[in-house]
Amino acid sequence: MAISPSASGVSGANALASSLRSYARDHAVHLLVIAVLAAYPGVYAVAVNSPFSAEAVALLPRVETMVAVLYFGLFAVSFDFVSGYTGYLSFGHATFYGVGAYLVVLTANGKIPLLPASTPFVLLLVLGGLLAVVFAVIIGAVSFRLSGVYFAMITLGFSQVLYVFVRDWGYLGSNPRDGVAVTGRTEGFEIGVPGVDSLSLAVGQLTGDTVELLGVVHLTAAEVSYYMVGIVVLVCYFAMQRVVHSPFGRTLVAIRENEERARAIGYNTFYYKLGAFAISAFFAGIAGGLFAGYRRSVTPESGFYFLTTGDALLASIIGGFGTLAGPLYGHLFDEGVREFLSKGGSGGGLLPYLRENVGQGTMETVVYNGMTVGETIDVFLNGRAALYVGVVFVLFVLYVPNGLLGTVRDRLILSDRDD
Amino acid sequence: MSLLSVEAVHTYYGDSHILEGVSLEVDSGEVVALVGRNGVGKTTTLRTIMQLTPPSKGRVRLRGEDITGTDTHDVADAGVGWIPENRRIFSQLTVEENVHVAVPEGRDVDAARERAYETFPDLREHRYRDGGTLSGGQQQMLAIARGLVGDNDLLLVDEPSEGLAPLIVSAVADALAATAAETTVLLVEQNLPLALDLADRFYVLDDGRIVDSGETSEVEESDERLRRYLSA
Repeated sequence: MAISPSASGVSGANALASSLRSYARDHAVHLLVIAVLAAYPGVYAVAVNSPFSAEAVALLPRVETMVAVLYFGLFAVSFDFVSGYTGYLSFGHATFYGVGAYLVVLTANGKIPLLPASTPFVLLLVLGGLLAVVFAVIIGAVSFRLSGVYFAMITLGFSQVLYVFVRDWGYLGSNPRDGVAVTGRTEGFEIGVPGVDSLSLAVGQLTGDTVELLGVVHLTAAEVSYYMVGIVVLVCYFAMQRVVHSPFGRTLVAIRENEERARAIGYNTFYYKLGAFAISAFFAGIAGGLFAGYRRSVTPESGFYFLTTGDALLASIIGGFGTLAGPLYGHLFDEGVREFLSKGGSGGGLLPYLRENVGQGTMETVVYNGMTVGETIDVFLNGRAALYVGVVFVLFVLYVPNGLLGTVRDRLILSDRDD
Repeated sequence: MSLLSVEAVHTYYGDSHILEGVSLEVDSGEVVALVGRNGVGKTTTLRTIMQLTPPSKGRVRLRGEDITGTDTHDVADAGVGWIPENRRIFSQLTVEENVHVAVPEGRDVDAARERAYETFPDLREHRYRDGGTLSGGQQQMLAIARGLVGDNDLLLVDEPSEGLAPLIVSAVADALAATAAETTVLLVEQNLPLALDLADRFYVLDDGRIVDSGETSEVEESDERLRRYLSA
């Protein structure tokens, strides 16, 4: 836009109006997303009882899956907080997820000194986050002396060492390789105000609370878990967003763009990076705690193992690096595709849908060399979800390098400039 | 005692010996130009002072204190600002944020911004735009503005006129003159008229060595004394 000097007052007002507009639009998007997520269980319940029930079951992720999308999405968001905003890929991020998860399960089993098995879950989440911070400071103090691929490798190394450690440490449970389940606490893990029963609801597939509201609204255990986990994830997300938009967060962006320049301005970039790592670990620890509280068990593979970090990386690349919220959408996309292409069973998806809805005659039609349509469907769909997710991943890296949210934001900024 | 003294520094990039015993001094309140052809080590000299590329031999002193081998952020905290070549602003931060990150902790950010916008009114107009969307001249203004709000005692300015249209160069020169009135400047510049106009003294660098120095009032840009080291 060309501006003559005499029009500076007008353009200043325009700039302000434009920035207010984009601020309002950002928040409108937030509100819209929260509204859609809040309405999801209701929409799902209506859809699966509608005439399009079979299609809805095949297409829409179950509410149980959505709970996992939320807590693992929080982990992916925390991964993006450090990796997307400082440019340092934290390949050992699963460590912090595992620390939060193991703390919840081990406390419930009475294995943590000074913490009774009945410690309120909300407190455990915070303690898990803080313990993850301790790990992050120790690992980060060593790792941030390196950069680039060396940083990624050393954090990966730390997490693999811890993975082997928890896999073989007999104190954790009778068979630590298979993980540890909650055995010392029969009641569910409650999210809400500690000590106030009426303001707390338990999460979990079997131990979660159900809710009757005015005899009209009936929420299943999965739906209650979805909302309670959702509240924690929302609070954590807004806390991280606040940090990203603070001067501290802006300095992280400066470091990502040109660390040398940031140092030359006078920033001790080491402490900024370590701070970002610790904050990120805190929320990763909470995500791990939510996971363990909902699933009531944890394995060395679900926390600590490098593929757990890999899933967060996948979510970040699909959703958009350095967008904070993007990885949540990325993980929703990832889980959605996996469930749609999964073997099915109770989960719905494409394969059972085709088996039930394609006529027997068509299924038995020979396509090629004696292979029927039914067999072909099986070959291409049964247990092949990971293959297709891999292909999607490659396509994203090649054609949507900024991810879902990054691309949408770029479009919005471009259209804003055209105004 | 000089504000800055560089004492016989030798600096390497890997195996390449870039600076071969460079010595120079900058006194408080001066503008000193460091001139020379491409690739003779001018930028390396500034990077050596900032300790971004520490010297393997020799000393760098600030107000007499040895800063050789210290951390770059400590050099910056001691009052040395660096405006790198190619206008290395933060392209993904807005103009406001770019200025903000350069304000030392504990200082009044609003006052610092006001000062930057008073010196460069153009920046006020574009305060909410990302640095990367500014024109080359505006980016250079922003880079200088950041040096200005850093409250530095010494500003190292690297090739401020590089790649800019002549009209913009004169605006940048005015901005630098305004900056130089408030702080000490060590200026690396290939544009000889600009360098001689702004500076009180000059050093000529050739192949990693200081080969000439003096008062800018002693020389003219056409002098053979300067020409032979500057023309390609």
